[in-house]
Amino acid sequence: MPRLPTSLLREAYTIDRLLPALLGPCRDLRAARNELRWLREHVNTIAAARPARGGTLAKDALLRDLVRQRASGKPLQYILGTEYFGELEIMCRPGVLIPRQDTAASISHLVCSIRNAQSLPSELRVLDLCTGTGCIPLLFHHEFYSARDDIDLRILGVDVSDTSLNLAAHNLKRMRKDKSWAEKGAIGFMKADVLLNPFADQKGGRLPLKRAFETNKQLQSWDILISNPPYISPSAYWKTTTRSVRGFEPKLALVPPPHSTTADTERGDTFYQPLLHIARDVEAKIVLLEIADLEQALRVARMARELRIFDGIEIWRDQPEQTPDTTPSSTQGGFSILGQGNARSVLCWRGAVASWLGKPTPGISLDDDAHRLLKSHGNFTSSFHTNGLSI
Amino acid sequence: MLATPWVCRNCLLRAAKPAVRRGVRLQSTVATSESIPPALLARARTIAAEHQQLTEKLANGFDTRAAKKAGEYSRIVLALREWHKASESVAELTSLMHDPTTDPELRELASDDLGAIRTQLLNASQSLVTSLVPVHPFAHLPCLVEIRPGAGGSEAAIFAGDLLRMYQAFCNRNGFRSTLLKYENVNGTQEGGIPLSEAILEIDHESAYGFFRGEAGVHRVQRVPVTETKGRTHTSAASVHVLPSLQANSVAESDYDDPDSDYYVDPKEVRLEVMRASGAGGQHVNKTESAVRLTHMPTNTVVSMQDSRSQPKNKEKAWALLRSRIAQLRREKREEEMVAMRRSVVGVAKMGRGDKVRTYNYNQQRVTDHRSGATVHDLDDVMEGGQTLNKIMESVRSWLMEKDVEALIAEEGEAKR
Ligand SMILES: C[S@@+](CC[C@H](N)C(=O)[O-])C[C@H]1O[C@@H](n2cnc3c(N)ncnc32)[C@H](O)[C@@H]1O
Repeated sequence: MPRLPTSLLREAYTIDRLLPALLGPCRDLRAARNELRWLREHVNTIAAARPARGGTLAKDALLRDLVRQRASGKPLQYILGTEYFGELEIMCRPGVLIPRQDTAASISHLVCSIRNAQSLPSELRVLDLCTGTGCIPLLFHHEFYSARDDIDLRILGVDVSDTSLNLAAHNLKRMRKDKSWAEKGAIGFMKADVLLNPFADQKGGRLPLKRAFETNKQLQSWDILISNPPYISPSAYWKTTTRSVRGFEPKLALVPPPHSTTADTERGDTFYQPLLHIARDVEAKIVLLEIADLEQALRVARMARELRIFDGIEIWRDQPEQTPDTTPSSTQGGFSILGQGNARSVLCWRGAVASWLGKPTPGISLDDDAHRLLKSHGNFTSSFHTNGLSI
Repeated sequence: MLATPWVCRNCLLRAAKPAVRRGVRLQSTVATSESIPPALLARARTIAAEHQQLTEKLANGFDTRAAKKAGEYSRIVLALREWHKASESVAELTSLMHDPTTDPELRELASDDLGAIRTQLLNASQSLVTSLVPVHPFAHLPCLVEIRPGAGGSEAAIFAGDLLRMYQAFCNRNGFRSTLLKYENVNGTQEGGIPLSEAILEIDHESAYGFFRGEAGVHRVQRVPVTETKGRTHTSAASVHVLPSLQANSVAESDYDDPDSDYYVDPKEVRLEVMRASGAGGQHVNKTESAVRLTHMPTNTVVSMQDSRSQPKNKEKAWALLRSRIAQLRREKREEEMVAMRRSVVGVAKMGRGDKVRTYNYNQQRVTDHRSGATVHDLDDVMEGGQTLNKIMESVRSWLMEKDVEALIAEEGEAKR
């Protein structure tokens, strides 16, 4: 990382003695000022909650301590304990990935595109694999019910980590205390390993998803599958992630586990084949997968096309709702790319649900759809690692 | 026998307390006289007749538009009725006094009462004239007061902070709820005591716009700055803008969607920019970036907001502020057009956002408003948002009313020709 110019540090110092330290993680003055303000507000809230202990002196000491932590690279969200995900304030704890705004933008865009559809079923089922803080189920619920209330939403979040599942449950409990939270539908969380072969035996207390569905008496078919899985390759982990991410966020959430012979790029893609196969098995009609960049997006889109069960596949950028700066909207490898920013997710859909998304409905009969689902099962087990799974 | 009717009415008139009209003390010659300019009286009568028709129409069935109009007119009708009553009384008393057959005792009584009745008439005339002045379309709304330092470097920024505290204190004393919508001192933090770079105070009180709109303009300060070592007096300034607050439900929801309304902003004409962490994004980066900037392209109005860690919250605040600014801009443009039209008729003072409206002179402990001409001497009380500030604000409202009346008369005169 380039060194910060001395003049910038000096300017920061004349504004506030605590600012130069924040320039390290923030890199620019505007961001550093914002963070200092939020840290101050946080300290004031804490002080107001436990009054009459040392007054300003203790407040100053606390602020200095928090600034020092932040300067060491600790994410602001772990220090403050929360991050905003769309309109929701989600609790964050070390050991669980901090929700990203880019993810929220994709989720909001998906919900906004379908929530006003006429043809939604009376019960809509959403599966979120690799749920982390539970932010995706919570935001889906919130955005959906802020527009309509005549549909029963069933959302299930799945993760392999107990720390994540505990935090997700806690976040749900906290949301339900909020007055504006709609007490409708149902949100649940479940432990499962999405990489495990469904036919494999239980491994070190981990259940494959299908087995977990059975054990927990969960539904086996889902309308929408969403996932923001670990997608960073080992080399990108060292080259592309920031120090704060590497030093403080769980690697389990970022980099897929190693398995025998895979090269760097394939390792980054580890989750997508299994996720797409799960999508087929649960007969998902809409699939939204977050990805790292355009290259990965194109690889994932091709994988999805090869399954031959989808009627449409497109790539969304960080702000999918924004019209791109460059008109007309681009296409690559036969996939249209929507929005502004870096490529962020791949959307696949099949059958009549195209109308939920406001896309032209493909002329495919129910029988044909069932047939292609069945046919696609040919290369079934190949994508799951039957051995050597270690994290 | 002969005098009973008026004696009775007189008692009634006396019992009715003179109407308290705060801030509406008219100094111009036209309005201090008991007589109303004929053009205005004619207008009031036309409106009363129209009101009569509306009431009849409403008796036969409800009609929202008619009801609304009748409601607006009722103020004028009432004022006209009061004026008629008072002028009849004056006429009766006068004729009684001039009637040689009047009993001397009665005449004395009548002349005693004439003074009081004349005051009634004067008040009634003023009420009638002011009732004819169209109410400012934003007057009923809560408002935003924006304060920014003008020329004069850090002294201007310190004074901007002083003005903010003055308005905050004023709101506290008068029970107006106020919140800081945006606050940035030159450090980019919110700590007090540091010169201000921008503040937006929301005054969440019905009719706050009407109450504070006279504060808009350039406020000038003359004093020896704390930073000045040689003891020289400096002149600096801060600008104050007053906008209608369109947060939440201050305006009917439909007005936001009605392209003809002042509050309408076409989303297609607004460019949204969100600040994002540079680089790869996604899981690679975990920096919080929530700043939002909106640009209304036709007017090149830019609003940016980064106070909250939540981007949707910043976006929402930015939209509300953008709507307020655009509504105010449109209004100002229309007011300017009206002023331009009238200037040929009468020298109506212009009050744009660039005009110097008030001077705070610390050496002389005095505050002078350049529009109303009012000068007060208790500067400390003004800066603490006390009664003296109220007094000077009131003088401005009177001045505004006077200008409106002049304009109204000029307009009626034009229409006659
Ligand atoms: C990138 S995080 C996404 C968290 C959350 N959905 C979000 O968007 O903030 C990936 C999550 O996948 C979980 N995970 C990792 N390996 C998994 C596996 N084999 N099966 C299920 N979940 C797994 C991690 O615990 C982590 O919470």
